[in-house]
Amino acid sequence: MDPETEFLSSKRQTGNEWELFKENVRPLKRGRNVDLLNHALKAHTNDQLKKSLLENRRRLIEAIDEYQGDDPLQPWLDCIKWVQEAFPPGGDFSGLVLIYEQCVRAFWHSDRYKDDLRYLKVWLEYAEHCSDAEVIYSFLDANDIGNTHSAYYIAYALHMESKSKMKAANDILNLGISSNAQPIEKLRDAYKKFLARSMRRPNATEEELKEDDLPVRSFGTVLARGESQRQAIKTFELGRNKLKQDQVHRTPLSIYNDTNMDVMRGHHSKPSTGSNSWHTLGGRAERNKENNAMPAKWTSHKIPQRPVPRIVGAVASSQIEVFVDEECEEKPKVHDEKDRTSSLQLRELDGRNIKKETELLRENPLRNFPSNSLPR
Amino acid sequence: MASRTVAKDIITLRGSAAIVSEFFGYAANSILYNRGVYPEESFAKVKKYGLPMLLTQDEEWLEAGKLQRVVMVIMSKATKEVLERWNFSIETDSDVVEKGVSREKSDREIMREIQAIMRQIASSITYLPCLDEPCVFDVLAYTDTDVPVPFTWIESDPKLIANPQMVKLHSFDTKIHKVDTLVSYKNDEWDEQ
Repeated sequence: MDPETEFLSSKRQTGNEWELFKENVRPLKRGRNVDLLNHALKAHTNDQLKKSLLENRRRLIEAIDEYQGDDPLQPWLDCIKWVQEAFPPGGDFSGLVLIYEQCVRAFWHSDRYKDDLRYLKVWLEYAEHCSDAEVIYSFLDANDIGNTHSAYYIAYALHMESKSKMKAANDILNLGISSNAQPIEKLRDAYKKFLARSMRRPNATEEELKEDDLPVRSFGTVLARGESQRQAIKTFELGRNKLKQDQVHRTPLSIYNDTNMDVMRGHHSKPSTGSNSWHTLGGRAERNKENNAMPAKWTSHKIPQRPVPRIVGAVASSQIEVFVDEECEEKPKVHDEKDRTSSLQLRELDGRNIKKETELLRENPLRNFPSNSLPR
Repeated sequence: MASRTVAKDIITLRGSAAIVSEFFGYAANSILYNRGVYPEESFAKVKKYGLPMLLTQDEEWLEAGKLQRVVMVIMSKATKEVLERWNFSIETDSDVVEKGVSREKSDREIMREIQAIMRQIASSITYLPCLDEPCVFDVLAYTDTDVPVPFTWIESDPKLIANPQMVKLHSFDTKIHKVDTLVSYKNDEWDEQ
């Protein structure tokens, strides 16, 4: 009897947590195991299960350290897959971004994995979590990682396309095809679809010319560039908390810069441009206003206090976790294949400020890499 | 003092077959659309000319009580590898088929059950792998062995997935036909192209 017939004729049911909590589940390209998913979703409301999840994560991290076989990438993959299944919403508290980063950093110099599709996929998933993945693709390019696989070219081209760099995307796909990346059919197909999409695009010649993507720096006196730069005003929040937690952002929200705004909006305001000229010094009273003004209520906004969410794995203690700067802790030895010290860092995931570290990595995914490995 | 029977609560074999067949149409459309098997632009064409032809046959078989299962198979266009299987297995009340009796169940109740399944089909992206290559589909009908194969169909192998992940969805029941839904899909492979 085939497994499906067997399942159908049995009285077994599949739990329906996946449907009840579907908003909390980030879909994965490779799909999910529904039983693991249901279990993980149950853990949300069940401390016992939550504990066992964390215990599992710890064990998988240990397994990376203790692995003796000839494929040291495998235990990393087991760990990554498991974290993805066990933390369905993903997000900054799962530690996933940290694990990606440590995995790719453990093997970037290794010839053995340069062409390994699994290794490439870890890089690509890492890229998806970063605010600007271009630096990652450049890194892969400079270090010859993954360039025999279609997946690399497709992902790279899609990224460039998302930044409206159509010519670059076109060149990348063509390079992949001429390099005979595998599977070639998939690449050709992706190219066809890309061409179809670029036909439908409105003519965006301006962006074409600007291959240099350094941001234009302005000091508050220049209006935000074009209407297309408008973003929703970022909600002001004391301390960084829940805003980004459950969203996989590729780009952070940018703050709408309204130069006519002269009401103080917390720390994110730019100084009012009422008198934007430096030519007059202003009267004495005006110069001294910081010392003379009476403290007044902020009448325009009431900032609601939000409770800081519990970090998964953090013990509910009254102590405040002291975040130790990168420079002050032991630097992991990058060239050790077994990489004991770096998984030691991973083990400290439970006690550390996972979210903070994740955010830092999102902004600067290669920050832990030695500078001689970075593309010029 | 004859009690008034609410006509629409009576289900006949023919009525039930119609409901089930209609459900297959909805489900198939929803699956093809949600899974992106056909690009949106060509979907209207598929709806009009593709599926209905397949499904009128189902209705006939359902009335005869000879349809056991309908399976929608989604395959990679390039490699023909089976990626997903949507299984609809049918239990028919043989009493009804043989003796022509009818049953009682409110239409609304049945519709509610069907809607629950449709919602689950749409929500299945939660766990189904992304189909990021062009795909094609096939409909398989499992019938009793004494059913002759109509000329628009061909005999086929079951096109199974090896080591599938399986999820059982809700079922619905007209009291004459009970339909169970199961979706199976390929296990994740980190090193798959």
